[in-house]
Amino acid sequence: MPRNKIIGAVEIGSSKITVLIGEIEGGRELNIIGSAEATSVGVKKGEIVDLSSVGRCTHAALIAAERKAGVQVDEVFLSASGAHLEGFTNIGTVNVHDADNWVSEHDVHTAGHSARRKALPPGRCYLVHIRGAACADGREVDNPVGMQAAKLELKYWNVHADERRITDMIHIISGYADGLSVEEIIPASVASGRISASDDERRAGALVVDIGEGTTDFVLYRKGHIVHTGVIPVGGGHLTNDLSIGLRITFKQAERLKLRDGKAVLEKGDKEGHVMLEGDLQIGDRPIPRLAIAKILNARVAEIFSIIKNRLGSAVSAQAVPGGVILTGGSSELPGIADVGRDVLGVDTRVGTHPAWVTREDLRDPGYSTTLGLLFFGLQGQSLGERKAEAPKAGLLRRLFK
Amino acid sequence: MGEATRDWQEHPLRVKIIGVGGAGGNAVDRLRMSDPGPMELAVVNTDFKTLDASPLTEKVMIGKTVTGGLSTGGEAELGRQAAEADRAELARMVEGVDLVFILAGLGRGTGSGAAPVIAEVAAEAGALVVAFVNLPFSREGQRRMRQAEDALAAMREACACVISLPNDLIVQQAEGDPTLLEALAIADDWIRRGVQAICSMILENGLINVDFATLREALHYRGGKAVFGFGEGSGDGFVEAALRDLERCPLLHLPDNRFLRKTDGLLLHIRGGPDMPLSDVYRVMDFIGERFGCKENTVLGAAVDGSLQGRVQVTVIGTVDVTGARRHPFRVPAAARPRPVAPPAPRPAPVAEAPAEHTAPVAKTVVATPRSAPPQETESTGAARREKHPPEGQAEFEFLVGEDRGYFEKTDENIYEGQDLDVPAFIRKGIRIAV
Repeated sequence: MPRNKIIGAVEIGSSKITVLIGEIEGGRELNIIGSAEATSVGVKKGEIVDLSSVGRCTHAALIAAERKAGVQVDEVFLSASGAHLEGFTNIGTVNVHDADNWVSEHDVHTAGHSARRKALPPGRCYLVHIRGAACADGREVDNPVGMQAAKLELKYWNVHADERRITDMIHIISGYADGLSVEEIIPASVASGRISASDDERRAGALVVDIGEGTTDFVLYRKGHIVHTGVIPVGGGHLTNDLSIGLRITFKQAERLKLRDGKAVLEKGDKEGHVMLEGDLQIGDRPIPRLAIAKILNARVAEIFSIIKNRLGSAVSAQAVPGGVILTGGSSELPGIADVGRDVLGVDTRVGTHPAWVTREDLRDPGYSTTLGLLFFGLQGQSLGERKAEAPKAGLLRRLFK
Repeated sequence: MGEATRDWQEHPLRVKIIGVGGAGGNAVDRLRMSDPGPMELAVVNTDFKTLDASPLTEKVMIGKTVTGGLSTGGEAELGRQAAEADRAELARMVEGVDLVFILAGLGRGTGSGAAPVIAEVAAEAGALVVAFVNLPFSREGQRRMRQAEDALAAMREACACVISLPNDLIVQQAEGDPTLLEALAIADDWIRRGVQAICSMILENGLINVDFATLREALHYRGGKAVFGFGEGSGDGFVEAALRDLERCPLLHLPDNRFLRKTDGLLLHIRGGPDMPLSDVYRVMDFIGERFGCKENTVLGAAVDGSLQGRVQVTVIGTVDVTGARRHPFRVPAAARPRPVAPPAPRPAPVAEAPAEHTAPVAKTVVATPRSAPPQETESTGAARREKHPPEGQAEFEFLVGEDRGYFEKTDENIYEGQDLDVPAFIRKGIRIAV
């Protein structure tokens, strides 16, 4: 390798646009050499509503990150979210070719192909095909190659998206610098799940919920494989909006109040307590009952979890996810949010931390889990030999837009 | 009192409050108990049993041929057919009335289906139509919600002003955990406040009266949206307290209109005790005009109520022209009104001058309208207007599709199991927040 590869991880979020720049040394080691974030204008509920201003914000963040790193980005890994993302399970089945029923690479390839080829309605495109468990004559195995079986089944979780929204994002990146290409687009849930849950937790079975500003992205792991991902277009922005409507205060005041005094559970002593709206003793400042704040936030947070519960059904229970529920994303910092999750989902719930290799203090914020996850996938993409079965395979898009 | 007063009492403005469907009928019943004064009350329903139980005298049964005296079973289309079938009867009911209030609960059959037709009939007869409609609880499900929304759009077409009161918000005004009866009483109380504010402006003697024509002018943004809010204050600095209360009124903080800083027409009614100084009235007016960005087109009414010593109630009704321009001036051409054969005969000429200040010219023609106007005349004019109505309606409906959704405006709908997730969870779940 003539020089180290520089990859950029870009998340176009509803509150901010985050860029991390990583240097891949020798194809095996990742150094984070630059980071920047810009306030996001024109993204709501994870979807771009104002392309030109989002473009400006993204470019500003990229410039700032490149300046800090002192290098230019070669390729970009992008995360995608929003209600337009959808997924489904498809199983590819083949009769093993070999006369003695030895499963070969070719069989796996054929089964995978048939699981991924389902046609989508016009205007939709596949984002990723995520390989799940393989079944050799009913036995669930990780890698069936070399085993003896008559029938091979491969399970895939396929995520597809609105084509227009994806091309919009790609145009923003390609508009930044000539030749800057989007290497891969990964659902935000997949990216943050990879960072927030450890290998052991994913193997045991875990649910990662990334509650951001505009969306809540979740990913369910079973036996180390992704079996479900989803997006709920509700996030911290809704918490703020609810406070602002319920307490009759401005959106800005509500945002400050949420960060300063927000709580997702009712605690003893909240019944009577008050907090001042501004705390600056100015005219217009008024006491806000703690009870009101907690009730409003509790209602919304509980609803987010109950929607997840509805979507996943029996797949989320203490038996099915021994690894528990791991919360991440900016809104996971709301005090008491894990307690609400535990109550609603009936599964042990905690706020996740980043793995130990993330040493930079400023990147330990849960809001960075998606971009860190993107970098991780960037690293994996470089060392293809080590690519794990669960890693997303390059979708149709990669071929389309290259 | 002089003779002039007596004369105009003989020919007052006619105000009729019509309750449509079960919820509307109940609201009217409740209004009856709180002394409606000179307003006439009527109920319209498809259900014979409910109608029979109503204590009111004026009851109109519609759709005998459609439903056979049974209710619509929640089917809005049936309600509409029922009203269409008895259009002539409805026209008789609103004949000669100047101001019609329609009270209805949207979401089920009669309210959703018949109320827009009745509004249309009343508007055709030349009345100013103001509607107060309840929207169903989110919990009642998607189908009800959809029927209610369709009906609301149709109502906005036909009425001068439609004030929607989402039932989800009722609980926000209640104390503690309200019983069902209490909750319904609160909803009806909102309606009563609105009706009372408008009526006392034009009917009662107060500090500042408004004539009917001015009211008509202020409310005539047809197809537009309306905001409605009220505040009450007492004790020291009751004016400030009332304005603060108004600012916190949950109705003004619906996702629909919370960012509303600009209205096109504004109706402000202040009701206070005899000790209310005029300077306070103007102070309130300045504040409200500022708050709603409507200094030019504010109609102010103020009334004195002996029971409100040291207290003040402020009610605001604002209309917003969503269609961009005053495309549908609401003034009805004189020809379209069922006219009496001759100008008011019983009125002596010298006396007729006197009430000119109080009532608008429109009102005067109505005063003498014979109750038994030739029905075929009403019918034919009605038919003529109906003919040109549908295309108008079609064009306007498109403007109403994209509702303003506050912070989440211009974003895709966020419907999950029939509920719009962008609407605060606590409102949809009916959790009361005490501020």
